[in-house]
Amino acid sequence: MIEAAAFVAWLGAAVIVLSDGRRGMALGLALVAAGLTGVALGSVGWPALLLLAGGWAAAALRLRSGATQWGLMPPGSTPRLLLAVVAGFLSLWLAVSVSIGPGGPLRFASLAVLVLMGATAVQAEEPAVAATATAALALALGAAAALAPAGNFAPYLVAGAIAGGISLLPAAKQRAA
Amino acid sequence: MSTVLLLATAGAVGLTVGFAPPKTDRSTLLAQGIAALVALAAVAIAPSLDLVILIVLALAGLQAVIAGRRSIVARLRAPTVACVLLGAGLAFTRFEGSSRLPELAAVLIATGVAAATGVLPYIHEFDQEEAAAPSTIAWIGFLSPVLVVAVLSRVYTLIPTAGAPLGAILIGLGLVNVIWGSIAAWRTEEGARAWHYSFMADWGLALCGFGMQVADGRSAALLILCGILLGRLPLYTWSRPALAERTQNVRPVNLLAAAMLAGAAPFAGFAARVILLRGATVVYWPLALVLAVGLLLWLPSSLRLGKSLGLPRGRQAIGIAVALIINAAVGFYPQPVLSLAGL
Repeated sequence: MIEAAAFVAWLGAAVIVLSDGRRGMALGLALVAAGLTGVALGSVGWPALLLLAGGWAAAALRLRSGATQWGLMPPGSTPRLLLAVVAGFLSLWLAVSVSIGPGGPLRFASLAVLVLMGATAVQAEEPAVAATATAALALALGAAAALAPAGNFAPYLVAGAIAGGISLLPAAKQRAA
Repeated sequence: MSTVLLLATAGAVGLTVGFAPPKTDRSTLLAQGIAALVALAAVAIAPSLDLVILIVLALAGLQAVIAGRRSIVARLRAPTVACVLLGAGLAFTRFEGSSRLPELAAVLIATGVAAATGVLPYIHEFDQEEAAAPSTIAWIGFLSPVLVVAVLSRVYTLIPTAGAPLGAILIGLGLVNVIWGSIAAWRTEEGARAWHYSFMADWGLALCGFGMQVADGRSAALLILCGILLGRLPLYTWSRPALAERTQNVRPVNLLAAAMLAGAAPFAGFAARVILLRGATVVYWPLALVLAVGLLLWLPSSLRLGKSLGLPRGRQAIGIAVALIINAAVGFYPQPVLSLAGL
């Protein structure tokens, strides 16, 4: 079950990478939030639900701005598809081959989302894409806190709040300084 | 160390708001400064590195809200990359397995620190027309001192076996920034960009200090960061009207400001440089030699930056005098500052 959740997190990140439209990005965010919550739930319990709340709020807010369609795999998206696949395999290798011990799905999911969202933020040209990548990145950073041997709910709360808050950004108009 | 830098950051807010050039919206600037101070205080007291990285991301979001010339995309890009690198590095410190994992974590964290600060190899996009608060200067000159200390003070305990590689990477990055920043600050055509590069050069010295992992290195880094917050940053904000008008002046006040920026005696930069060279000699004497040669590169760029202040009048003149007095006081007697930081 946890392995399936990790795959859902990677799938969500891949959907964000491959989407230019608001619906696609919202779907990706919702999947990332669900997947990361699933893998973190076993380690930390209820605080992981804060990631789900923040992520789904961010997904709902994402529907307000950006290009008004799904925008999945527009022409010229082959490099992005390759990025999603290669980042997935690289994260899998690091999570279950280079490193050992329990928590492999959590390691895979957090690494895959971190790498894919970093790449998306670098190549983004639209505010909606950058904000979506940043929101998903916050969720991944929150989930990665579950790798620590001990902790409290603060990282999950902050990560959820950032994911929700950052999704309000593109609504702000750019003004001259 | 974080406490001293928080106090210096508060001092920077006081100087830049209190002696802001005419036509500046002081209340907005004060509100932005206080919001940043609250976030930096949260960084300083955060119980874990996870929270520090998340607060960096939140700061990036808050800065993106401020009206500015660069797009939201450009403003989010560099801090996001920094958070990815720092987050991945932190994750690797928690993995078990290959003996190389701590070293990989060290590489990611050192590059994450560079990305968060905006120094080579991750120079943030700089728009010379943009005000200081929404610009990259806010990261390199205002937010990063507390952030970097918060990260580095926590990370050495997480990767005790990779402390030496992390230190070596920081010194390498520091030297590259010292040379690149000081030469670029001297040779670049645009005045505002020269200021930006001068911040990079100062950060290069600070990174070298942190990388040495000796008390002298940390002391020097602390004094350099205090110099950035209480000297270079306020002077940059006060130089903006003269930069816009492209006026230059060579009065005693310009020369004194240039001496302060160059780290000449009796200012804080001089004490920092002496302590840094002493630390470098202890660690590896050829490093001290390279640093000593690099320090000479500050002279032409600092003279240029001092002239770019124009002819300061009114509040700005008072502000420059206050900055000179503070820096001279720290330079004459740095021990109280170092003692407060536990050094």
